[in-house]
Amino acid sequence: MHSKKINEYALDTVIYVILIALGLSTLVPFITVLSKSVSEEWAITSGKVNLLPVGFQLDTLQYVVTNHQFLHAMLISVLVAVIGTLASLLITAMTAYPLSKRELPGMGIVIVLFVFTMMFNGGIIPNYLLIRQLNLIDNLGSLVLPGLISVFNMLVIKSYFESLPQSLEESAKLDGARNFTILFRIMLPLSGPVLATIGLFYAVYYWNDYFNPMLYINSTSLKPLQLYLQDIVMNADSSSFKMSAEDMMNVPAEGVRAATVIASTIPILLVYPFLQKYFIKGVLIGSVKG
Amino acid sequence: MNRNSRWKLARSNWDMYALLIPGLIFLLLFKYTPMYGVVIAFQDFNIFSGIKGSEWVGLDQFQKLVHSDDFYQVLTNTLLISLYKIIILFPIPIVVALLLNEVRKMLFKRAIQTIIYLPHFLSWVVISGLFVTLLSPTDGLVNQIITAFGGKPLSFLQDNSLFRSVVVFTAGWKEVGWNAIIFIAAIAGIDQEQYEAASIDGAGRIRKMISITLPGIMPTIVLMFILRIGSLLEAGTEQILTMYNPLVYDSGDVIGTFVYRMGLGQQDYSFSTAVGLFNSLVGFILIISGNMLSKKFLKRSIW
Repeated sequence: MHSKKINEYALDTVIYVILIALGLSTLVPFITVLSKSVSEEWAITSGKVNLLPVGFQLDTLQYVVTNHQFLHAMLISVLVAVIGTLASLLITAMTAYPLSKRELPGMGIVIVLFVFTMMFNGGIIPNYLLIRQLNLIDNLGSLVLPGLISVFNMLVIKSYFESLPQSLEESAKLDGARNFTILFRIMLPLSGPVLATIGLFYAVYYWNDYFNPMLYINSTSLKPLQLYLQDIVMNADSSSFKMSAEDMMNVPAEGVRAATVIASTIPILLVYPFLQKYFIKGVLIGSVKG
Repeated sequence: MNRNSRWKLARSNWDMYALLIPGLIFLLLFKYTPMYGVVIAFQDFNIFSGIKGSEWVGLDQFQKLVHSDDFYQVLTNTLLISLYKIIILFPIPIVVALLLNEVRKMLFKRAIQTIIYLPHFLSWVVISGLFVTLLSPTDGLVNQIITAFGGKPLSFLQDNSLFRSVVVFTAGWKEVGWNAIIFIAAIAGIDQEQYEAASIDGAGRIRKMISITLPGIMPTIVLMFILRIGSLLEAGTEQILTMYNPLVYDSGDVIGTFVYRMGLGQQDYSFSTAVGLFNSLVGFILIISGNMLSKKFLKRSIW
């Protein structure tokens, strides 16, 4: 009995050590970058900054977040994410509702048409040529329109609608309500959790999207945050950062890079704790079914 | 139901079909029009003449593809990176889920989960930024540790022998926690009575993990594995685009990045589309066969 208890402790210790190591290895990249963004310039260039900051200053961060280009890129990203998420949610729900009525003629075929696009697509070049044909190059529409409906998300909302009691719709119909009214007045208000989750997935998609902007946006004034960030991160010299000679003296490239990464991560870090309860629920809605 | 009453049902629900209009326009315009666009893989496409005006060349582009050394290099890179990701990264979330399940202190469990889910919500650009800093040859933490132990600093992102490891590691860093969610959910669905019965038979925790939990989530594991195989040719285009540079094309250029470079960089639209079509077809075949296997052995299909 005694040795069994010792075994239990040993097992617990091993489990805790592994999980703490996993947690730390997730945090270390954040911590090092955060440390560099608040360290003194000389300390970074001489390689003195390890895990913890050396010296402390907020000038670099302040410089980055007050930079005109940074703010502009941030604004573009917020605009695309907000409009994209709202439009996506509306159209996805509008599509999912009729498709949840399998008894209506034709709906089965439409579902197959949607599901097929999950497995086969035209690829990068035909998509690029389409956007070009539609005159959407250097237009923010190119960042929103091609992602309007994610078929996966649509199927999740569809199966949620299917799980709602049919009697609700039937009684509304007896009162003379049309399907249109039923969707917007009854079904959607009852779908809070699933809409929040899917909204989160769309918001993350639009906010993090790098591929579409890279393909379709050339104009500096329309670059969203991810594209702007990539310029900063991959150019070791900070030439894409328009700096005066005086700024160059004061702000180290490495520090600016670190501060830009941190400043772009802050919005996600701020909303993340509030979103957590939704996304776990959402993943379960999407996956356990079947 | 006969024809007449089906028509009646459709007519009395005309507004359902009206609701579908925006979705259908989206589907036709942004999904099926590009599928039609793949015909340029069989043309010598000229952007000014368009699809109608360009010359048809049959399978020339595919012959070029078969005879292209670059293509083999790219295919090899894609398969290697993807296989490394499957072999190394597929089992880890399962282990993480099993370990988390053993934690009784809820606060600790929740804290670890919150931390390890977080990277999923960051973009590849941000993650590249984090790791460029962490792996910097001059002042990155990793190289400071290496030099502290008397080693020579490594240029992780410029070295063909290291680049793939960085790609696999960072992919794991981003998604391991998130991918564990599904297994955590599967574990939560296991019947608790089995554990009680096992306890009475004197089974320890490791015994229970191996004999109850693991078999209990096996269907989920197999299903996720089949799904994963379906995306074998997706080695992580966006990830690699944000991380690589010409120095590591030899080890890091994958089908997706190659299509991008050839197509939009060198304007070789037709060849690039042919490579993309090859990619889509193989992916399609993999998913269809995976689903068939799943139906046959798990009595469960993915859609």
